[in-house]
Amino acid sequence: MSLVNFTTREITCKIVYYGPGRSGKTTNLHYIYGRVPDSRRGRMVSLATQTDRTLFFDFLPIDLGQISGFSTRFQLYTVPGQVYYNATRRLVLQGADGVVFVADSQARQLDENLESLQNLQSNLLEHGVDIRTVPLVMQYNKQDLPRELILSTADLDDALNFRGVTSFRADALHGVGVFETLKGISELVLKKLAAGAPA
Amino acid sequence: MTAPAAYGPALDLVTRVRGVRGAMLVSGEDGIVVAEQLMEGIKGGAVAALAASLAARLRRAIDAAGVGPTLFWHLQCDKGGLLVVPTPSGVLIVAVAEPDVNVGLVRLELLRAAEAVG
Amino acid sequence: MTTRAVEAWTLEPLVKFVKEAGARLVLVMTSAGQVMAQHGFSRAVDVMSAAALGAAIIASTDEIARQLSQPPFAALNHQGERHGIFLGSVITGRGKLVVLAVYDLETSSLGLVQLFFEQLTGDLQAASPKEGVSKQVLAADFERELSDSLNTLFGR
Repeated sequence: MSLVNFTTREITCKIVYYGPGRSGKTTNLHYIYGRVPDSRRGRMVSLATQTDRTLFFDFLPIDLGQISGFSTRFQLYTVPGQVYYNATRRLVLQGADGVVFVADSQARQLDENLESLQNLQSNLLEHGVDIRTVPLVMQYNKQDLPRELILSTADLDDALNFRGVTSFRADALHGVGVFETLKGISELVLKKLAAGAPA
Repeated sequence: MTAPAAYGPALDLVTRVRGVRGAMLVSGEDGIVVAEQLMEGIKGGAVAALAASLAARLRRAIDAAGVGPTLFWHLQCDKGGLLVVPTPSGVLIVAVAEPDVNVGLVRLELLRAAEAVG
Repeated sequence: MTTRAVEAWTLEPLVKFVKEAGARLVLVMTSAGQVMAQHGFSRAVDVMSAAALGAAIIASTDEIARQLSQPPFAALNHQGERHGIFLGSVITGRGKLVVLAVYDLETSSLGLVQLFFEQLTGDLQAASPKEGVSKQVLAADFERELSDSLNTLFGR
């Protein structure tokens, strides 16, 4: 849940990048880390296995500056994508203000995407949250791969985007769509906050 | 340091002295109670934490004075006192006593308990 | 050393705890890792990393406790060579809060931190208001400012 300090006029929001293993969640954060000036970001924390697979989460705090007179900070988290780590994945989701679902656009990964999306739904439910009420955007990553290997964004929308939320075409490794995705989710999260926040 | 089974008898040595309201073995490093025999109303955890903190500060003062390691200290208070003997292993033997306790006897038993604990 | 609180009611209990327990760094945060109050950190973004990790440790151990069908662990302590890290949680009127304290083994101890943590939990419980009502936060036209901020952030 967003933390709003009316005295010092600060807002802190938690955004979670969710999706199947190797879909590019950590790559999104690495790209953001690389582009944001030092003064506007904290240390990137990665709790990873020896083979660089996310074990618990990656974490990157960024400072957006002043928005509507509030000093606004976002905490970006990724979850471990591998099925095996569901317990930790569920923990990271706790208190999320918004979710970016990073799907792997490869046709052979469709089942994994679907499974991860269902997993997101059930893990949110365990926290007492209905997926339909959470600010959510979809990112279809790896759209740079040869066309015969991937599904089009329209096909992916048909298969995964049952809520009809905003979706973004991305190649996170080279930064394509990363910024747009972050902007998309930020708007949704702050819009929800603008509608009423805990005092 | 000896095995935990020896802690009870070591504390018995101290608590059997008339006027002693409780005795504890306290880890000097972290201020945690290792073993205790206390009468109702004594906050063992608080006494342990604060005694260990005091012991660390006293050690610094004593080091600065160059008078060798602490053997025994006694805090005399209005309604009783705190008597402490540190062991070489870093454990503190702490006694909480009434005002009219025989301090010499408690000191002797604390030193014997320290020897038993090691 | 700076002591700051997002919500004013947390400040006095925190200041008291820092002084009495001799803690070097302290964070009071929500169970999701949002910082409510802090002592000793200089940059807000560094505080957030520590909070994220502290909240994750508590969340992990709570989950282990749940899987063992027992109540959450009361507190955790990690003893280092020069510093100790203490983590505990407290239920307040504002929900569950997690406290992370880093203490210097030369000047404090686990016993002291534990002792004054008990006092801190009582003070926080007594001072915490109940969940507040909703308040309007952002102006309706925040999107343009957000867009400008993100553009600046990404050098666009």
